[in-house]
Amino acid sequence: MRYWLSIYRANLKMTIAQMLQYRFAILIWAVWGFVGPLISLAIWSAATQAHGAITGKAAGVTYSRADFAAYFLIYMIFGHITMSWDAFEFAYRVRDGNLSPRLLKPLHPIHTDAAFNIAFKLCTSAMLLPIWVLLFVILKPAPPHSWWSLALALPALVMAGVLRYVWQYALAVIAFWTTRVEAINQLYFTLDSFLAGRIAPISLMPAWLGALALYSPFRSMGAFPVELAQGRVPTAQILPGFCLQLIWLGVGVGLLRVLWAGGIKQYSAVGA
Amino acid sequence: MDHPQIQLNNLQKIYRVHEREAGAGASVRSLFHRKYKEVKAVEGVSFTVCPGEVVGFLGPNGAGKTTTLKMLAGLLHPTGGEARVLGRIPWKRERDLLRNISLVMGNRNQLMWDIPAMDSFLVNQAIYEIPPKQFRETLDELIALLDLEGLLKKPVRGLSLGERMKCELAAALLHRPSVLFLDEPTLGVDITMQGRIRQFVQEHNQRHGATVLLTSHYMADVTALCKRVIVIHKGKLLYDGDLAALTDRIAPFKLVRLDMETAEAVAEAEKYGDVVETEGNKVTLRVPRADTSTVVARLLSELPVLDLTVEDPPIEAVIEQVFQGANVQEAKP
Repeated sequence: MRYWLSIYRANLKMTIAQMLQYRFAILIWAVWGFVGPLISLAIWSAATQAHGAITGKAAGVTYSRADFAAYFLIYMIFGHITMSWDAFEFAYRVRDGNLSPRLLKPLHPIHTDAAFNIAFKLCTSAMLLPIWVLLFVILKPAPPHSWWSLALALPALVMAGVLRYVWQYALAVIAFWTTRVEAINQLYFTLDSFLAGRIAPISLMPAWLGALALYSPFRSMGAFPVELAQGRVPTAQILPGFCLQLIWLGVGVGLLRVLWAGGIKQYSAVGA
Repeated sequence: MDHPQIQLNNLQKIYRVHEREAGAGASVRSLFHRKYKEVKAVEGVSFTVCPGEVVGFLGPNGAGKTTTLKMLAGLLHPTGGEARVLGRIPWKRERDLLRNISLVMGNRNQLMWDIPAMDSFLVNQAIYEIPPKQFRETLDELIALLDLEGLLKKPVRGLSLGERMKCELAAALLHRPSVLFLDEPTLGVDITMQGRIRQFVQEHNQRHGATVLLTSHYMADVTALCKRVIVIHKGKLLYDGDLAALTDRIAPFKLVRLDMETAEAVAEAEKYGDVVETEGNKVTLRVPRADTSTVVARLLSELPVLDLTVEDPPIEAVIEQVFQGANVQEAKP
């Protein structure tokens, strides 16, 4: 344990130092995280102004403008905390051979990359905190339906972050076979936009799409902690929600291990 | 004899490369029907290296040197054959092995570009679990040997190529690896810096007894550091043995450079050996190694010689002859 703490501490220090060299670029990346949720919120706010509160026929759940504001503002923060982009970086490193120096070390590269990811979140969250507070003040979201559910959102958020990271890394490792992993990543992001509830709350989706989203890994890494924070997950579905997160994490770790073991044998001709 | 630290037995690496003709038609055809070609990068190479040896690994571009080093460092999986480094199979990438080896590639860098090298060193300290006292001692030693004072606090992107290479070497040696693979460590750096790096590798080897396998296009690196050389060409081992013995076998002659008093004396001197070049009153002769002392004595006593030097043929020329297919098999130890 001490070993891992010292590894992550050293990597965090280094990557934070590295990031502070490029403050402006970091800020742009961070602001990019606002765009999606704010556009979705604008659209749904316009819809509530025209039709009043909106009810999902399948789930029988109603969302007012303040509910939408709460959903998308929480999503903005949780989305930022759980985001990962390793598929792009990893493919680039495989292509130009810069993965090699990382593979020479007695440490799986995922740890250095995860430390980078955490350092990014620490730096940017500190920058974004005042903006998040300001948006909450301006947009007046509905308060959570239950506070204990909000507390449960925290472990769900950590699980969602780990889950998203592992799945994104498994996707990244495909770069050992094809360096044009961007196409697959694009498909993944499209599915993620809908099934993780980024564009609309899952409970407002048509029944078939809602069911698909509910059992997909995307809801576990996206909407689940947001719904918990709002207090919108029925009590009977909370434990199954955490179980699903664990199951998808297990699947993701298994997938990553299999892909890594096979992929590392492929790493050769590209630029190793 | 010490137990070998590096052992290769019939090691092979074949790359499968997609190939197609130039042009739009060929590129559409390749969408439906891909053609692959097998490139034999390493074809059954075998050798062993004992603890503390510094071995030059030579070959022209594309000979398979770097591929071999990468297999030995655990980066690549071979297509066939076996290898052991410190008794372990390198491509299994066991932590105990990776903690005790290093591969420095002249064209790749492990240091983070935007921050001072010292920050990367501290991460290596954590990864390799180097105790603080040992880290400080090794770092001080590296700073002194490589003249790093003042470089470690500058962002790496602000260093010259030579300075960066010195920092890369330091980063690779902080954990005191028992086996060091150096792939073109002096690539692109100026002559002074080449000498410095060479001297450093020598001192490091002597101090810590590290085993070094070195590839370089600069023969000066090889002659300064390696008693033994391994030559490969087109993936096959051509020679493994003493550098001096290779020179004797391939080029069993010496070069005698003469500065004569008169043009007539130059014409006379040309009868004492094969003429390599003539310029004014200067002439260079190729003389069989065994006859060198007799020929030199005769030249000095029989002709008006102003100056005379005897040299070995340049190692570049010897190696070039090996690459061109000279028979060196007998020279194997």
